Amino acid sequence: MDKEIEHKFIVEFEQNQNIIHKVCRIYTSNQDAHNDLFQEIAIQLWKAYPKFRGESKLSTWMYRIGLNTAITLYRKSKRSIVTQDFETVLYRIEATSYDDTEEEQLKLMYAAIHQLTDIDKALIFLYLEDVNYREIAETMGISEVNARVRMNRIKTRLKTILNP
Amino acid sequence: MDELEFLKKDWKAREVSFPKLSYNEIYKMIHKKSSSIVKWIFIICIAEFLFWGLINLFIPESTFAIYEKFNLNTFLFIAQGLHYMVVFFFIYLFYKNYKTISVVDNTGLLMKNILKTRKTVNYYVYYNIILYVLISIILNIVMFSHPDILIEIMIPKNAVLDSDKFLGIMIVVQIIVLLAMCAIIWAYYRIIYGILLKRLNRNFKELESLEV
Repeated sequence: MDKEIEHKFIVEFEQNQNIIHKVCRIYTSNQDAHNDLFQEIAIQLWKAYPKFRGESKLSTWMYRIGLNTAITLYRKSKRSIVTQDFETVLYRIEATSYDDTEEEQLKLMYAAIHQLTDIDKALIFLYLEDVNYREIAETMGISEVNARVRMNRIKTRLKTILNP
Repeated sequence: MDELEFLKKDWKAREVSFPKLSYNEIYKMIHKKSSSIVKWIFIICIAEFLFWGLINLFIPESTFAIYEKFNLNTFLFIAQGLHYMVVFFFIYLFYKNYKTISVVDNTGLLMKNILKTRKTVNYYVYYNIILYVLISIILNIVMFSHPDILIEIMIPKNAVLDSDKFLGIMIVVQIIVLLAMCAIIWAYYRIIYGILLKRLNRNFKELESLEV
């Protein structure tokens, strides 16, 4: 029975592993950190899987565990903050010497996302994944109104970075 | 096109570039050891329970012989009995809180439960420090109110020593030891909180502030 559950889990995980990669992409800024977080989320998903009854969609369940793991996992934050600052500075310098091409805009936006707090990263992630506000609110444990207010603030912030 | 819609489109387009793990790689991965914060908190908490539980065993027997001369043994026996009851209560609370931590809960609730579990153990440590200080004070008051017995025990016969000076040194040494212990414990908690829980605390406060 255990083997059956395990097999089912691995097959489903294999099909949906992109979700985890995307969480890692938002929360980490180098490949090592990405792999570490990916592994931890995989372990947490597997631990929780026997209790997954399918009341929610598999993706919803994966978002929740993925984000929770990313937000609560202990990471050496200092070093990654330094690299992020560095990257952002680099992007800014490039941006001033280049035209506002779409490529540059994207670079800037991703750099800006990396600078957000852990909570805001979760919100923007769910937004990018086209999750509706009711579900975002449920995932984060805040009210729908507050989720909207906060999201608008993040959106405005990202837009101001592009159009100062 | 709206910048954010543009970002969303790119976000989805980049999915193709992610590496794909095979069935076997996933199998290996999920059987590796977790390094989650909850696991670390659990290990640290158990270590703390053991530390404060076992510290009693390292008090040398001779100390109790001294207390007996002051008729303090009954008091210490009762204090110890009560102490163990409190310890079991703390362990029960810790276990109960630990069990409520679930990664499937919403983010706010999850962080709240982790911090609550950790707080239980903090209260346990505060309790131990307060108990330690309190017992030290009581023992000292009793002992110093009978300086004759104290001098008889502590100063070997025939030794020439000013008894007032001796009592003065005793008090100073006791205070220094007490302060040093408190400093060590304080430093330890700065490290635990500074390293392990700072981010979690910050994230929790941020999420809480959204709801105000």
